[in-house]
Amino acid sequence: MVDFSVDTRGSEPVQIIDVKGYLDAHTAPELEGVFNKLIDEKKFQIVVNFSDLTYISSAGLGVFMAYVETMRENNGDIKFSNMNESVYNIFDLLGFPMLYEFYKDEKEAVEKFNQKGK
Amino acid sequence: MNLPFTKLAATQKLENALLVSILFFIFKIFFPLQDSTIIILINETFAFLAVYFWLLYIVSIIEFKVKSPLAIVLNAGILNALLFFIIAVSSSVLTEDPAFSPGTGFLYVLISSLVSFVFIAGNVYIFAAFRELFFLKQKRDPRSYFNVMSLFIALAFIAQVLEKLNDSLDFLTDTFFVVSIVLITVNSLRVAWIAFLTKRQKLYLLIISVVLSILFGINFYLTFESMLVNQVILNFSYGLQMFFSLIMIYGTIYFGVIFFTTLFHLPTAEAFDRKAEEVSSLMDLSKLITEVFDFKELADTVTTVTNKVCNSESSWLVTKNNNEFELISVNNIGFVEADKITEAILRPGESDITELKITSSREIKFVASDDLKSANFSSIAAAPLMLHNEINGYLFVGRKSDFEFDEEDQKSISAFADYASVALENAKLIEKSLEKERLEKEMDVAREVQYKIIPNNAPKFKDIDISFFFVPAFEVGGDYYDFFELPDNKLGFVIADVSGKGISASFVMAEVKGIFASLSKMIESPKELLVKANDVLKNSLERKTFVTAIYGVFDFNKGNLTFARAGHTPLYHFHEGELESLTPEGLGLGLDYGDLFSSTLKEMEISFNYNDIIVLFTDGIPESQNLNGEEFGYEKLKNIIIELADKPIQEITNEIMKQVSLFAKDNSQHDDITLVIFKKVKNKKDGVI
Repeated sequence: MVDFSVDTRGSEPVQIIDVKGYLDAHTAPELEGVFNKLIDEKKFQIVVNFSDLTYISSAGLGVFMAYVETMRENNGDIKFSNMNESVYNIFDLLGFPMLYEFYKDEKEAVEKFNQKGK
Repeated sequence: MNLPFTKLAATQKLENALLVSILFFIFKIFFPLQDSTIIILINETFAFLAVYFWLLYIVSIIEFKVKSPLAIVLNAGILNALLFFIIAVSSSVLTEDPAFSPGTGFLYVLISSLVSFVFIAGNVYIFAAFRELFFLKQKRDPRSYFNVMSLFIALAFIAQVLEKLNDSLDFLTDTFFVVSIVLITVNSLRVAWIAFLTKRQKLYLLIISVVLSILFGINFYLTFESMLVNQVILNFSYGLQMFFSLIMIYGTIYFGVIFFTTLFHLPTAEAFDRKAEEVSSLMDLSKLITEVFDFKELADTVTTVTNKVCNSESSWLVTKNNNEFELISVNNIGFVEADKITEAILRPGESDITELKITSSREIKFVASDDLKSANFSSIAAAPLMLHNEINGYLFVGRKSDFEFDEEDQKSISAFADYASVALENAKLIEKSLEKERLEKEMDVAREVQYKIIPNNAPKFKDIDISFFFVPAFEVGGDYYDFFELPDNKLGFVIADVSGKGISASFVMAEVKGIFASLSKMIESPKELLVKANDVLKNSLERKTFVTAIYGVFDFNKGNLTFARAGHTPLYHFHEGELESLTPEGLGLGLDYGDLFSSTLKEMEISFNYNDIIVLFTDGIPESQNLNGEEFGYEKLKNIIIELADKPIQEITNEIMKQVSLFAKDNSQHDDITLVIFKKVKNKKDGVI
């Protein structure tokens, strides 16, 4: 099975989370851990880069739902970028595009945050 | 080499020995003097046989005893002392009595026979004891050495007799006597068992062996010098005298060798003791590893034996989990103190100690704060618990005496640390398997819940064929479907998929079933129903949980289908040779509890005519994966439906399930698979599927 890995990078205030591999019920807690850590560090402006994600299950999707409210309450957001078509279709079927912002490129998402910030 | 009578049982051997002895005694009564060749020969044959049978008997009973060399030595020593006592007493009391000279009187025969038999028994026992010691701790079979020696002793016995008959044969006696002594000397060197004694036992043996060596020497000297005993025995049997003297020489040489060997073993005795203790502790530990599942208990044993073997004052064990140390077991040190020293030595955050490290008291003082009383340790060793290049903890050993941990200590500490790490791994694996078992039980419950929730039979409608298939994954997903017979010739249906897996998903599913079952009776519009369902779920769903669903109502009077989709996979509508994938807008239930859900949810109405097919499924089908990580996808599914559109829907269902399982054949099923197919059939009779 394809492994999953998650890393954060980026300078303040926007943090970028790189998710790689297979995000399902088993690997979701890893991503939750990253979100918890970011919230502890008071980093609420998040861009999730999906360029290396091969699969996402419903439990994986649930992670974003669990944290988006906290981010938004703190003047932040979770924005998605660099999604391949099949992963986007899963988000799309669920209606995520009506609730979240999706960007082709990570930079656009970061810029969007920065515009808001000013 | 099998001598006669060796295979007999011990009691039979005893019978033989007694029989020969009694016959010998009777013979002695009739022929007390050895005055002719024939009497000498018979007499000596009796003597030889008596020794032989007694030896057979005693060897067999000694073998049954515990093979403790010291006990054997002590027995031989006591018998030897007894012989010495007899010689000494008889020398001092009886020598001067002229009346007691060799003669033919019954009294003389009786006493001389008694003395001789005591000597036979004593010497034979001593010889048997030597034999037993000889075979102790011998790796290769040294039997032939001992047998050759025994043979020469027997030859010396015979030669002594022959010499009496013919003086010119004295060279034979001398030769066999000397050869026997040489062989005795060679065989006396086999004292490997001494090495396995503890230091105390060695000290004990040292004293006993020097006493016995001298005693045997004196006895040898006295059997020749003490006129009386010498006379008595010589008169009794010439061969026996030779046998006795050889045994006494054997004793002198053997205990002399034992004395010196023990003396040389003494300096290493302590090291040997320690090694032996370490080996037995490790054996105990490895047994514990397989028997004890509680790591704490094992850790206690590890710290205890480490202290014992390493001569240290304190020992403690910490485990490492995600860079956090946890004190598991302490031996002779307080928890707080052990914790502080651990922290001082490991210095969390710094690179790991990957090899055994010795910290001296000066360094400890330097790294630790002043309030630490640990200063009275002269040195502390920390050994990592390594397995697969991963550090799982440390074993600490603290010593207060000024002796540093030498190489031997370090090796033992590392060995105990290795054992602890294996034990720790073992305990973890067991915990994992218990966890797995618990999970499996949980899954069984979840699967049972699920099977109870989904319908087993489709409702029977005259205008419609319904086929469905459901395969739960090992980790039960939250798939759910249901049919509701509604008034006015209507049929409601729902297909839903709860996010996540396992028992929590199946609980949500049960709730969803309740919601749809009750709402379907109250609300006709699929959109309104879903909006209401979303509202109800608001109070119970976790933030990260959502439910995708399609709810629809067939109206057979109007010939149409009204449905709404809440984030679910598309609804396929096959109509006049074409398959349409329908995804009216709609958020998953639980994604948003505000206006957005209702404002974005679209209701769709399509016609549902003769031969039209409606296919509903959960993402378990398109997301089925093969071993290469490829997904089954939507296209294959569509193609099967189109190809088999004019076949009975049961056939379509079977084909889809067949293709999915063929596709993912070697891969495990990650998610529940649900498939529901409706087909409009005009000419169906009531009550027949």
